Amino acid sequence: MNEKSDEKKKVATLTKERVDLQKLSRILSGGLSVAGQSAVRTDGRSKVTGTQQYGADYAQEGFLHGKILRSPHPHALIKSLNSDKARALPGVVAVLTAKDVPGRNGFGAIIPDQPVICEDKVRFVGDGVALVAAETEKAAQEALSLIEVDYEPLPAVFDPREALKKDAPRIHEKGNLLSDNKLRKGDVDKGFAQAEVVLERTYQVPFLDHAYLEPDICMAVPQPDGIMLVEGPMQAPFTVRRNINAVLGVPVNRVRVRQIPMGGGFGGKEDSPIDLGCRAAVLAYRTGRPVRMSLAREEVALQTCKRHPMIMKVKIGAKKDGSIVAFQGVIYDEQGAYASLGPVIPPAGGSHIHSMIMMAGPYEIPNVHVDAYLVYTNHPYGGAMRGFGAPQVHIAHEQILDELAAQLGMSPLDIRRKNGLRKGSATATGQVLDQSVGLQDSLEACAKRFDWDRKYKNRGYVDEQRTKRRGLGVGMGWYRTSIGIAGDACGANVHVHEDGSVLLFTGITEMGQGAYTVLPQICAEELGVCLEDVRYVTPDTDMVPESGPTVGSRSTTLMGNAIILAARQVKKSILEAASEILAVPADRLEARTRKIFDREAPERGITFKEAAAKCMATGKRLIGQGWWAPPKPSLDPETGQGNPYFVYTYATHMAEVIVDVETGEVAITDYAAAFDVGKAINPKALEGQIEGGVAMGMGYALMEKIVTQAGYIQNLSLRNYLIPTALDVPAIKSVIVEVENKYGPYGAKGIGEMPNIPATPAILNAIADACGGRIRTLPADSESIFRAIQEAGGPPHK
Amino acid sequence: MSYEFKDLHWARDIRINKYLMPRTLDEALDFLEKSQGRAQVVAGGTDVICQLRHRDLEVDTLVDITRLPDMDGISQDGEMITLGACTTHAQTALSPLIREKAAILAKGAGSLGSPQIRNIATVAGNLVSGHPAADTSIPLLALNASVLIASREGQRVVPLSEFFLDKGRTAIDCRKEILIQIQFPAIQSNQGCCHLRLSKRQSLTIAILVLAAVVKVDPQKKIIQEAAVALGPVAPTPFRAVEAEALLAGAPVSKEIIEQAAESACAETNPIDSAIWGSAEYKREMVKVFVKRGLENALIEAGALVD
Amino acid sequence: MKKVGLAFKVNGKAVDLEIHPDTMLVDLLRDRLRLTGTKEGCREGECGACTVLLDGLAVNSCLIPALKAQGKSVVTIEGLAKAEGQLDSLQQHFVAAGAVQCGFCTPGMILNAKSLLDRIPDPDDKEIRIAISGVLCRCTGYQKIVEAVKAASHDKGQTPQG
Repeated sequence: MNEKSDEKKKVATLTKERVDLQKLSRILSGGLSVAGQSAVRTDGRSKVTGTQQYGADYAQEGFLHGKILRSPHPHALIKSLNSDKARALPGVVAVLTAKDVPGRNGFGAIIPDQPVICEDKVRFVGDGVALVAAETEKAAQEALSLIEVDYEPLPAVFDPREALKKDAPRIHEKGNLLSDNKLRKGDVDKGFAQAEVVLERTYQVPFLDHAYLEPDICMAVPQPDGIMLVEGPMQAPFTVRRNINAVLGVPVNRVRVRQIPMGGGFGGKEDSPIDLGCRAAVLAYRTGRPVRMSLAREEVALQTCKRHPMIMKVKIGAKKDGSIVAFQGVIYDEQGAYASLGPVIPPAGGSHIHSMIMMAGPYEIPNVHVDAYLVYTNHPYGGAMRGFGAPQVHIAHEQILDELAAQLGMSPLDIRRKNGLRKGSATATGQVLDQSVGLQDSLEACAKRFDWDRKYKNRGYVDEQRTKRRGLGVGMGWYRTSIGIAGDACGANVHVHEDGSVLLFTGITEMGQGAYTVLPQICAEELGVCLEDVRYVTPDTDMVPESGPTVGSRSTTLMGNAIILAARQVKKSILEAASEILAVPADRLEARTRKIFDREAPERGITFKEAAAKCMATGKRLIGQGWWAPPKPSLDPETGQGNPYFVYTYATHMAEVIVDVETGEVAITDYAAAFDVGKAINPKALEGQIEGGVAMGMGYALMEKIVTQAGYIQNLSLRNYLIPTALDVPAIKSVIVEVENKYGPYGAKGIGEMPNIPATPAILNAIADACGGRIRTLPADSESIFRAIQEAGGPPHK
Repeated sequence: MSYEFKDLHWARDIRINKYLMPRTLDEALDFLEKSQGRAQVVAGGTDVICQLRHRDLEVDTLVDITRLPDMDGISQDGEMITLGACTTHAQTALSPLIREKAAILAKGAGSLGSPQIRNIATVAGNLVSGHPAADTSIPLLALNASVLIASREGQRVVPLSEFFLDKGRTAIDCRKEILIQIQFPAIQSNQGCCHLRLSKRQSLTIAILVLAAVVKVDPQKKIIQEAAVALGPVAPTPFRAVEAEALLAGAPVSKEIIEQAAESACAETNPIDSAIWGSAEYKREMVKVFVKRGLENALIEAGALVD
Repeated sequence: MKKVGLAFKVNGKAVDLEIHPDTMLVDLLRDRLRLTGTKEGCREGECGACTVLLDGLAVNSCLIPALKAQGKSVVTIEGLAKAEGQLDSLQQHFVAAGAVQCGFCTPGMILNAKSLLDRIPDPDDKEIRIAISGVLCRCTGYQKIVEAVKAASHDKGQTPQG
């Protein structure tokens, strides 16, 4: 009997929580006091005074310097290795090979297929073959040069299509095809049969580097009690921890990982700290001493993950009225040497399946057919880079849509108005979007801010000599919030103290995006205190709940929800105590900016501090714990149908460019970006994300490319891997659109990645409009544009 | 294609044992002599430090000449402008004299690298780098500049037309000699000039193509008396399109002669393919465009063409 | 390798040391003097994160041998505040304008902006962008940095000159 009532209670609790979840977006009638404000960054002062400490700013005394001996071959067997001379060098404390790895000799964000130290073969230029720890960096560097390795080079493969061939060199035992995924909606053959216009195009995009300003660094410090402490800039402390414990062969709770605020991450630092962390930890484990492993800029480019290159074939069919009836895509997704963040984590996690899901774009298309192949090659490997597979496919669907519009004699806006997703639309996976679909709102808001209609009439040559021509382009995009794995969830702890000050514990990391400000804003709002009352505790796996990685634009939403739930737990006590003091029922009380007052008689109130002190004195709970998981994702492995992500954000970007038709040079002369974020928790920080994202998307469009030759990167340095400077990026007009997300804190959805996604196609479309040259192999540098103009038979006549 | 050890395992340090800062030219030459080829002159250092770090340069000692007297002035004497070798790119770009009398040099200097680099990198350093696209080399070549080189043997003047020998190699041996001065005639009122630069982004980047053109016209502004067309990187060294210049010399001003000169310049050049900076074919096409535009703009400035 | 004496000023204070001649200014400031506000991003003068003011001019300290600073005055980001706890106008505006995200480029940006405002008190947007064109930022898209510098330049009348 008791068990039954326990069950009932459980169900009641679950149901109540569900009801609560839908009220996450509820804003009190008095509006928001802390969230929703452009609060000044909590770490702003320390960053402008130079007192903010990054990984490399910690004192080096007492640390051994760790270094990695890297393979000079893209694919080779290791026949022998002799480290005698290196070991004998004064100052060298350890030279480790594969046999010295105490536990699993493999790491990886999803599949641990990358050796900590390669044993029998190497798979890309830069693969780790030995580890050195020495008293000085110079000694470590010299020791590396004294290790003698005998390689037997193997044939290598550098193109995913080549790697799929039967006789291709086998990179991993299981073969080169890492993942083979299908999306089937409707009947695409029937769809094309109905189409009145059909276009087929192929697009190719290269490896990109994150080029975060702060090079990677990691410090592993063995603790007196045998725990291994690893600290450094990183986006995913729990992923780092679960790799290190396996590599060291110890339980998870014997490893402690602490995040140091990052000088940029963009997805790269989701993966690279696993690499450095495992290696530094192994060196620290074997030497018993603290080890510091830092990468020079060129080593960051050499060794860390990249944005996946892709070859995308697209076929699109539409009726004369512009309605798209069929979309067929094939993606050759180049994984590189190791799996990193590419492979599928069921049902919809990993970058590859995300590309497949996003391939057809934010459009309602009845018949969609996508085949997506994730393939190993002997290149550096793809990981996560701001958009996680979405930026690439947007370049394909946004460009082909523009060409389709031109063929149909429709404006690029009208074709998007006609086909773009709306509330109630079904996506390519058959997901019916039942809430928070601001795509069309973003289109109209952007067009207004950009003054599209007037500008559209002013396209054409701007000089009498007809050398410079103005054009316009639009790019629309959609992006998920959350990562689509069954285990996606966030935990947060809130501690309130007797003086009203608060500690907030979550595993979400700061890489510049403003988590250390936005999450405390949500906490302060929900508790009813001020932002400065909340101190955010730097993520430490010993101290904060499992929170997942700071990726997938999930932090504000998922962690925000967990924080709200945690804050509510404590607030219950606070309001109880206040109710006792004020002799007013708790449900009439409101907590706002340190005051707790009777809604019906607002002048009657006490301070938050008084209520907190009373809780402390009467043993009322002042610790709140929140756990939030999104609605369970689903995706059929055979058809790619389901609801992979619980909510999406939407954006429209518009660019005006002037192309010098004789040289191919591009100047971006005006730019607007509208972004549906559900609710902006910090509008100024959001603008900053939009502006920075546009700059990154611009780099992808115009100048970024990791150039490889026979597996060797030719541009390891920032001198020849070019990202936009202040003289390249235009002024950007950003518009915030808010179409409330029922499942988000005060209606919010994710932010971090969307801003860079539509920028690239908006600019490419503008270039095509300006000069008639279509760039389908990126980047659209001046030479490519010059050639494209030639291929189009010369620049436009008018 | 393969990497050497140093391309896979990047050092942070530079390996020198001595950093000397002589106070007189004599002292500097003395240091160089005593080091017997194991020392190198450095001024701003932005090139040399990178070369040392990359292990492309191996010396024990650096001799910093920026404390020598009279090394960083800009002055005009009659028709000749003199630049001390340690004049920085920033000083050159901002100098009212250079902007007025040698605008292509001001522009060229102002387009190098970044403000921080320009604040310390010297024009002399840019010349001795021997890079075919060096941003002051090209305008100075068009200005018919010459350099004054000091060594234990005395001082010698070398016109820039004889200074650049091969990619990265010039007529000066920086382990024995010091470039102390640059000189060139100021641009006159019967002349016009133009500087154009094509690059992959607007700052902090090597040029895909630089053009510096100077034209001299007759008093009636109908004849091109003389033209200098300097380009880079279209050859192992900074380059003068002498055949194009010969076509232009004495020719009446016309659209046709400009186009002919552009074609000729294009045919004279021999740029290389670069996987990063662009194909030879593209560079040649751009030579045509730039020479045409450069000559047009220079003639407009000289009053021989209407805008 | 024989050590050599280096006497110079850092943030207004006299510093007298014995150093190895191959010491670069960025390392001397960061490792020896523990002024870690100056960052190392690329070690070849391409990113500008290591910018300091050398006799008032913005330079990349990763390319400057420490001995080059002999007898000169170096100002790092730590030396910018007017007085203890009081931020320079540029610092205040960077925070207020939202011009700081990851913050790694921030010291370099501020020092280049300072070098500009000392020379051109009322710059236009183009001049500001040129002044910061030698510092790479991957986070902000430069927009709010330009706004912050503009706002600080309008401040010049009110804030006391340093």
